Amino acid sequence: MKKQYAVALVLASFAIIALAAVAGSGRNPSDLPAPPAIGTTIDDFKLPDADGAEHSLKSLTGKNGAIIIFVATKCPVSNAYNDRMEKLAQDYKTKGINVIGINSNNTEPASEVKSHAGEKHLTFTILKDDGNKIADRLGATRTPEAYAIDPSGKLVYHGRIDNSQNTANITANDLREALDEVLGGKPVTKTGGAAFGCTIKRVS
Amino acid sequence: MRLRFSIFLVVLAIVWAGAGIAAPAQTPSAGAAPSPHRPPGFLVLDGVDTTDHYSPEIREIDLDGLKKLLLRDPKDTRPLLINFWATWCDGCREEFPDLVKIDNDYRAKGLNFLSVTLDEVADKTKAVDFLKEMKATMRVVLLNVNDPEPAIHAVDEKWDGALPATFLYDREGKLVFKYFGKIKPAELRAAIDKAVGSKQ
Repeated sequence: MKKQYAVALVLASFAIIALAAVAGSGRNPSDLPAPPAIGTTIDDFKLPDADGAEHSLKSLTGKNGAIIIFVATKCPVSNAYNDRMEKLAQDYKTKGINVIGINSNNTEPASEVKSHAGEKHLTFTILKDDGNKIADRLGATRTPEAYAIDPSGKLVYHGRIDNSQNTANITANDLREALDEVLGGKPVTKTGGAAFGCTIKRVS
Repeated sequence: MRLRFSIFLVVLAIVWAGAGIAAPAQTPSAGAAPSPHRPPGFLVLDGVDTTDHYSPEIREIDLDGLKKLLLRDPKDTRPLLINFWATWCDGCREEFPDLVKIDNDYRAKGLNFLSVTLDEVADKTKAVDFLKEMKATMRVVLLNVNDPEPAIHAVDEKWDGALPATFLYDREGKLVFKYFGKIKPAELRAAIDKAVGSKQ
């Protein structure tokens, strides 16, 4: 009887592994859940910063909204935007919109996020998303990738920061234009944009 | 009951550990013997391998050039595999040896492989050096556009530009496989097998 039970257990666990394997192949980023549509409310979440202190999205959101940017320490594209992201944070903090960085790369531990932010003089809060739960929830695929929310938590922009990694070639400041429209009480004209970036390294 | 549950946990842990150990072994082609098929571009002259002297050419294309490549020559009915990459992209560099093997294994079976680098024009030599190091001989173009968005959406409306990205079109030009992120070679090979119509 006991033996049968053990066999059943082994079989059951094989079934679980098989299911996990199927789920694992479902990690194809092409099959990720679609990101929330523009206009939907982003539910509050909590994540620790690089020092381990927990923050909620709500607590970090400014009186006029927030900009969530998925960042990386090793991605050259994300790194090309370090100065621009810091400038964005400085420029919009005074306007009541806070920049929140999220690092979801499973290859980049909190200690690295902390030292990287120090070296690159990033002063905005960077949260560590272990297990890429928030990246999954927001359907984030690459770094850098930005989400702007209004004070009520509604998504108003999702996509690139601007059109070029090289500051000399910027011709479309999509994110800033969207933020300025939000601040001006106008509907956002261009609610997103595509640009090449590094794939977020998710847990397998 | 508690004992049974702990037995369950132990068994589960053992099986899981086993799966964890087995997993890396399933990663195909790591350290596999090089393909006996020599792609064109590699010459053996008087017994001297000139591989080191092979210099890949990278043609620059713009948005229209990319669109033309996507539309294809109607007379060319080969399945088309397109991989977007850049030397600055870790995942791209990591998957490249598998792509070179796929190119070598499937070229004779009628696969048309197009490699598109997103490196800056100023970094073209970096891309050339990387291709040399990889002994890559597939067709490579450099997409030179100021605004990447129209190009990204010309390929796939659902793609937001995350690299690497891989797309496979069948003989009729229908998109039959796509992958954002580092490819799983076995999955891609299975899709190519189907597209080239070979029986595994």
